[in-house]
Amino acid sequence: MSRRPTCDEAMPRGDGHDAPLVQIGLPTGARSTGFEATRRDVLSLMGFSLGAIGLGAGCRAPVQHAVPLPSASTEMVPGVPNLYATTCGGCGASCGLVVKQRDGRPIKIEGNEASPLTGGGTCAAGQASVLSLYDDARLRGPVWLGNAVSWSEIDRHITTMLGGGGSDRRAIVLLSPTINSPSTRAVLADFRTRFPGFRHVVHDPMSLAALREANRLAFGAAVVPHFHFDRARVVVALEADFLGTWLAPVEFSRQWARRRTADGTRGFHVQCEAGLSVTGSNADLRLAVAPSELGTVAVALLAAVARRVNDAGLAALNATGLGQTAPHAAAIDRVADALARHRGESLVVTGSDDVATQLVVGKLNALLGNIGGADGPIDLARPSLQAQGDDAGVPALIDDMNRGAVSALIIWGANPVYDHPDGLAFRKALGRVPLTISFADRRDETSAHVHALCPDHHFLESWGDAEPVSGHFSLAQPLIAPLHDTRAGAESLLAWAAPAAGAAGAGKPADHRLYLRDFWRRALYPRAATAAGFDDFWERTLERGVVELPGPAVQTHAFAGDWQGAVRDIVTRASRAGTDHGGYELALHETVGARDGRHANNPWLLELPDPITRLTWGNVASIAPATAAALGVATGDVVTLTTETGKLELPAFVQPGQDRRTISVAVGYGRWAAGKAGDGIGANVYPLARVENGVRRYAARVNVAKAGRRARLAPAQTHFSMEGRDIVQSLTLASLEHEHEHEHEELPNLWRERLHGAHAWGMSIDLDACTGCSACVVACQSENNVPVVGAEQVRKSRIMHWLRIDRYFDGDGEDATTVHQPMMCQHCQHAPCETVCPVLATTTSSEGINQQVYNRCIGTRYCANNCPYKVRRFNWHNYTANDDFPYNMTSPLGRLVLNPDVTVRSRGVMEKCNLCVQRVQLGKNQALLQRRPLADGDVATACQQACPTGAIVFGDLADAGSRVSKLLAGRRAYRVLDDLGTRPNVGYLKKIELKEKA
Amino acid sequence: MRLRGIVFGFVVLGAGGGLLARGATRIGVHQGYAPEQPIAFPHKVHAGDNKIACLYCHSAARTSRHAGIPSASVCMNCHALLEKQTTAIQRLKEAVQQERPIAWTKVHNLPDFVYFNHSQHVVSGVACQRCHGAVEQMDRIEQAAPLTMGWCLGCHRAEAHVPTSTFARVAANVRGRPTPFAGEDCTSCHY
Repeated sequence: MSRRPTCDEAMPRGDGHDAPLVQIGLPTGARSTGFEATRRDVLSLMGFSLGAIGLGAGCRAPVQHAVPLPSASTEMVPGVPNLYATTCGGCGASCGLVVKQRDGRPIKIEGNEASPLTGGGTCAAGQASVLSLYDDARLRGPVWLGNAVSWSEIDRHITTMLGGGGSDRRAIVLLSPTINSPSTRAVLADFRTRFPGFRHVVHDPMSLAALREANRLAFGAAVVPHFHFDRARVVVALEADFLGTWLAPVEFSRQWARRRTADGTRGFHVQCEAGLSVTGSNADLRLAVAPSELGTVAVALLAAVARRVNDAGLAALNATGLGQTAPHAAAIDRVADALARHRGESLVVTGSDDVATQLVVGKLNALLGNIGGADGPIDLARPSLQAQGDDAGVPALIDDMNRGAVSALIIWGANPVYDHPDGLAFRKALGRVPLTISFADRRDETSAHVHALCPDHHFLESWGDAEPVSGHFSLAQPLIAPLHDTRAGAESLLAWAAPAAGAAGAGKPADHRLYLRDFWRRALYPRAATAAGFDDFWERTLERGVVELPGPAVQTHAFAGDWQGAVRDIVTRASRAGTDHGGYELALHETVGARDGRHANNPWLLELPDPITRLTWGNVASIAPATAAALGVATGDVVTLTTETGKLELPAFVQPGQDRRTISVAVGYGRWAAGKAGDGIGANVYPLARVENGVRRYAARVNVAKAGRRARLAPAQTHFSMEGRDIVQSLTLASLEHEHEHEHEELPNLWRERLHGAHAWGMSIDLDACTGCSACVVACQSENNVPVVGAEQVRKSRIMHWLRIDRYFDGDGEDATTVHQPMMCQHCQHAPCETVCPVLATTTSSEGINQQVYNRCIGTRYCANNCPYKVRRFNWHNYTANDDFPYNMTSPLGRLVLNPDVTVRSRGVMEKCNLCVQRVQLGKNQALLQRRPLADGDVATACQQACPTGAIVFGDLADAGSRVSKLLAGRRAYRVLDDLGTRPNVGYLKKIELKEKA
Repeated sequence: MRLRGIVFGFVVLGAGGGLLARGATRIGVHQGYAPEQPIAFPHKVHAGDNKIACLYCHSAARTSRHAGIPSASVCMNCHALLEKQTTAIQRLKEAVQQERPIAWTKVHNLPDFVYFNHSQHVVSGVACQRCHGAVEQMDRIEQAAPLTMGWCLGCHRAEAHVPTSTFARVAANVRGRPTPFAGEDCTSCHY
């Protein structure tokens, strides 16, 4: 075709129309000096537009399906949570729980407010235990000699090897931690009927055997008393972390907090310990005492109290002159004063592993009249059943195994290869037993060496019951059908104890639920003294979760222990120890995150910053500042600890408050068969102590040497100074009288007043009641789908916890005092973060909540920069379905724990505490459905619900009658950094100190 | 000539750009989406001709954030007794006999960062047809509304405003009448 004329040719020249009006780069890449509207160009231009449309409208969303149950259930409505009462299996305390279940699976653990013991509180390990249900490391089914088999197959093998009928007297041993479940005790009794050679060895990794032995000698009953810290005006604890990890920390925290009144009835709490524990950090008076000196302190205290009560029988004590040579002599005198003034309402408790020290403390309590009586602080008649470990049991068992006297060993919930000092010997002895069975939920350090793996259910999949304290019962019911082909341990035992085919009662399948129900009907329902039938009683108890059934009291006599012998023993040892000065001592202790090591594969607990060291992902050797200086050791230097029984390398950590002769190390780390997350984290310190005279020791003489290298720690808090700002405020009781009601200094307002809605949500945090236990931190993580980021990211200060508990020290010697301050978004009404967001992704709602809208956020991070409280967290990575972060949000099984009511954030968005707005909205929704107004207390944030002391109170500040309004109008209330004019809706109550800080 | 070419170019680009913009802002908007279902369930027959109430089958909407699709057992409440047989009913009965859950294709999908609670709206008296269109006339369910945030806000702003404190407290004290209380706060739907 003929060529069309170009512009150049068409347009006349010379009159300014030379250059083309428009220069366009065509998609075809053709360069032209003029616009040639050829058909080809038009088509390619249209193609470009169509392509753009294709990009825009051609993006297709994935097809979603809705799959209802084949048969409708009135009980399970999709989207409506169900709450079931059960019992926690996170440690031996057996706290009552109410667990939230969505779509047939448990997603959030809460405390049972009906429990007279815990009152609804939980601990960090308990909150985290929902995640261990969805642990990928769990066994999928029974394993026989390394091969996956069916239950009937493994039962055949086991029943054959367990052998013949009632005439069989060979030893079959069950090794387990404390079992306080009455129905399980009945199962064991049934098992013994079938196998008369059966015996039960109880192994608690952190045991109270010395206390029980002392009580046996002194009172005639080897029991752990039920302690009532709220009935004591003076509490003296010697190496007992009762607020953090000792015996029943949730219950004790609640009791202890009851005594933290702001008036003359306030309790006085003294702590004597080597390492700084959570309890010690909250004591009114803390004395650093090395483990070898604890006995001496107890004797000196006994002597000092004896002088004041003029007990003639104790005159001999004064003659030893021990009072003057004991450490902290002056302080001990003061404490004795306080104790003597409150006879019958004081409590001296010790977790010491030394029977002599326990006897001295027992004598002291008896002298003070603290024991006995239904309302006393120490109840021996209705004792605690939470710690029944027999320390002599495991060494004796190892001997028996080596001698060939054990024909079968069943390990249920115990892991001695890891947590017993003779673990290696145990492992070797295992090989000498013809049949070894483990109910462990994974191939752990011990169960990796047994013949038969018969995995037990997780406690959230189990029926069961518990009797944590004599007369206080709690039931457990499953929240989900077993995820894997596991079987209740009790059912396994019942199956193997079943009568042989042909005998009476044969062929009946062992059903744990039916057995449990039948046991309660026979043994416990008669104690209920109720007119209701058993079925009614059972249903009501299952719903409520807990019930009190008074039972027979334990028979004890008045103190009759050989306390003089104990004192002599302690004095002799002290004088011997006095001659070899210069040595250090190693002290083992539990932490709130790791506990005894059973949760080692739980990423929530691995990343939980320790309340004292603020470290994550590992343990350290805590050393006093003076000692560290003497050794030339700084935080992060690796040191080698050598005791008689073992050697360990750990990074050192300079710890204010640490006793200068003692190095403290947390147990529960250094596992090698816990699972991918926990293996190789930290170091195992259990082998460094030993069993002595049938009692576990948790301290030893140790040599400390520098290993010559450094290790990188993963601290969640790197800045420990308040820089002169009044971030944590405290006052004394005396000055409280003169304190004014909280006066809100009204700075001039630059902003127009916002339209207020019906509510103004706010929160009050009582710094005097907060112990730093960190249950709230894990509860928040569980409720709000907060990701785990791993040690490397924690080092880059990218930890994602919305709620942190800052810890500050005052001083750094042995007398350093500690304060804990939970810090989350303060929900400022004049928020500095809101004014700098370029896209208004963060604004304040009409109800006072500073809201973060994830889908609007573009990740500028200016808001985090501007926040004076540094509470905003940025998603630097996709933490979900990302192999670089192999934790619960990457595993499909682990994702089952996610809360469906809370968005899972992706990379590039900011997140922070939103005062559990999903719970607020749900509360409003429930009120609407029930046609009633929202009442104070209807809505509790996750952190508030978890707190065992009730330090956190959430509510409506627009309602003058709400608890939070009253608290924040009180004399102790203040806002953090309120001189900046941020007007936070979160207020704090000043901590009450014993004396003015210097 | 050149001018005509330029204008033509602008028109095409404008149209193309407009289409691009329209496409881009309509990402995720599926108004008119009417997918084929595993069983051809006609709402017209059930909700229209037979006047079965919405909440009879979608009972969860009364108490839950999800309206839910009924279990096959709800269908069988009637169909176990009815003699009528069609291909769809045949498929339903087979699924029930084999205890096979039916995988319906969800028509109304909101993004993960949006929280929508059916019960809040149902109890406040919002008719199902307000958002889902004339379902009783649909043979195959179609998404009638755009379900965009702007569309939601249209109702939230007009029908139920954020009340002042005084009003809310007065309203809340009037027992028995649920107070329409549609939030305009971000956290009403985004958290």
